[in-house]
Amino acid sequence: MTVANDISLPDRVQSANKTSTFPAKSVLLGFLTSAIVVFCVFPFLLVLAISFGRKVDGAAWVWDFTLENYQRFFVGVLWPQEVTFLYLQQLYYSFYFAVIASLLAVVTALPFTLALTRLSRRAQAIWLVFILSSLSLSEVFIVMGWDILLSNNSGLPKLFKETGLTAWLKEVGWFQTLRDWGLANPRNVKFKTSDFATILTMSYLVWPYAVILLYPALSRLDPSLGEAARTMGASRWTVTRTVTLPSIRLPLMGTTLLLFVFLLGTYVSITVFAAPNKHTTAVAIYANIRGANLNAPFGATQAIILLISASVCLYLGHLLNRRAEGR
Amino acid sequence: MRTFGTIYMGLASLVLAMPIVVVCGAALNSGRSMFFPPVDPTFVRFGEFFVSEPVWTAALWNSVIVAVGASILAVAMAWPIAYLLWSTGTKLSKTLAGLGSLPFAVPPIVFGVGLGFFWAFTGGLGEIWAGVISHAILLMALPLVTISIGLQSIDRAHLDAAATMGATEQVAFRTVVLPQTIPYTISGLFFVLVLSFNEFIVIFFVSASSYATVTLQIFNSLRNGYTPTMAVAAITFLTVSVLVFSAVARWGDLPRLMGADQSRK
Repeated sequence: MTVANDISLPDRVQSANKTSTFPAKSVLLGFLTSAIVVFCVFPFLLVLAISFGRKVDGAAWVWDFTLENYQRFFVGVLWPQEVTFLYLQQLYYSFYFAVIASLLAVVTALPFTLALTRLSRRAQAIWLVFILSSLSLSEVFIVMGWDILLSNNSGLPKLFKETGLTAWLKEVGWFQTLRDWGLANPRNVKFKTSDFATILTMSYLVWPYAVILLYPALSRLDPSLGEAARTMGASRWTVTRTVTLPSIRLPLMGTTLLLFVFLLGTYVSITVFAAPNKHTTAVAIYANIRGANLNAPFGATQAIILLISASVCLYLGHLLNRRAEGR
Repeated sequence: MRTFGTIYMGLASLVLAMPIVVVCGAALNSGRSMFFPPVDPTFVRFGEFFVSEPVWTAALWNSVIVAVGASILAVAMAWPIAYLLWSTGTKLSKTLAGLGSLPFAVPPIVFGVGLGFFWAFTGGLGEIWAGVISHAILLMALPLVTISIGLQSIDRAHLDAAATMGATEQVAFRTVVLPQTIPYTISGLFFVLVLSFNEFIVIFFVSASSYATVTLQIFNSLRNGYTPTMAVAAITFLTVSVLVFSAVARWGDLPRLMGADQSRK
């Protein structure tokens, strides 16, 4: 941009403000601001306010300012006589599934995206259509697909049995290992319900997001850097470790964090694939607000805690990025 | 490296396609249950989904209303914000853009819960127009990004040329800004359309079971076991996505929208 452009810009803005469109503009601006505040900010404030409310037995709930719901979340209703960490445990499982699934997605999406950026522009566009289509495919369809693939009467367990893979596994003794991991019953392998199926589906769910989020950073990578290192005698692995990975460390961490935050709220995959004792906060939120428990204030409390956890993680990621940039 | 890349991409796309292929194949079953590979393949299920079963036709109609309404509304709200951000860059416009993207950045279940309470108080809970607004707000971040990318691609010299030749801001907007940003606007519209079509958790909370979109109907049916008709829904949705994104790739610059480097071809 030239100097002349920079000078002419404020003029243009000022002259626009002086013309007759000024009232119309400020009306539009006012309308937009209020719409954004009402729809984007107010719902969150409402959740926060209701999280301090009180449930009335046999009725709905009333406005209040009590910390009971928060106490219940961290130590249980009967504290200090009795302590239960049930709700903290649910939050732990939210983190557990989300951390592993997001890491798995990023690690497996990285080589794919690298290969994608080396293709021609036209080929990239075709791949992107494929990736975007699978990205937008609803969670319910994905869960349905994996459910058919992993269910005991059809899909992989049946395939294992028919091809003799199950018998072979029993012969070499690995079947017992699978049973110890909870991936088999006495007769055949089983994947429902298991952590394996949950993490696989969740990872699958965000995998296209990982590609899309890594894509801009990787497509800006300068291939000549790696080539220079190669000509100086560095091995392929050394180049990846010392040139490629350090230069994309920030987008890698940023992507992982975003996927993690997204997965914190996963609902359908958990209800279908996770064992009931490993259900997460998201499932509990639903049970309280729309489901069997009907305790909206406590559901709101859990939502707020989930939101705070997500924000803390995003903020930590932001700090890490700043530190890495500062060095 | 090249061969490794090709093999890896092939394997990854195979895993990516696996559940989709299974669902699509299951749609051809003639019986009431899902088998893969399909038993006695038939296209009867397609008729059920689009024409004869009122549960599914109603759900499809609701999905279309919500998706089309939400995409138009989202673009209508995102345009002025993106334009303000680009032309003035004021603090207010930055705040508006930031807050407008907030619902998309937090776990969707939290926003769903918030909107559920919000509509309960304002009388919109279980109304389809509330579903339209909810999706528009949730997905507004997408057209905000695509339109901003489009506006940034405009050469400021064109605007100055228009100004020196005596064009007012309105004329310059109509003749320079608008034509160059139309592909990006439509891309943003399409993104919202497809994602709203497939969105589940927010509409789950704001519909309060008084109406069902296709994704909600599928979730409700999960407990009673799968039917091949559900797989037809999956195929339909997938086809819509592929068509829409192919259109974006054909008439817009998909790699650029996704943030690819411009200098290399």
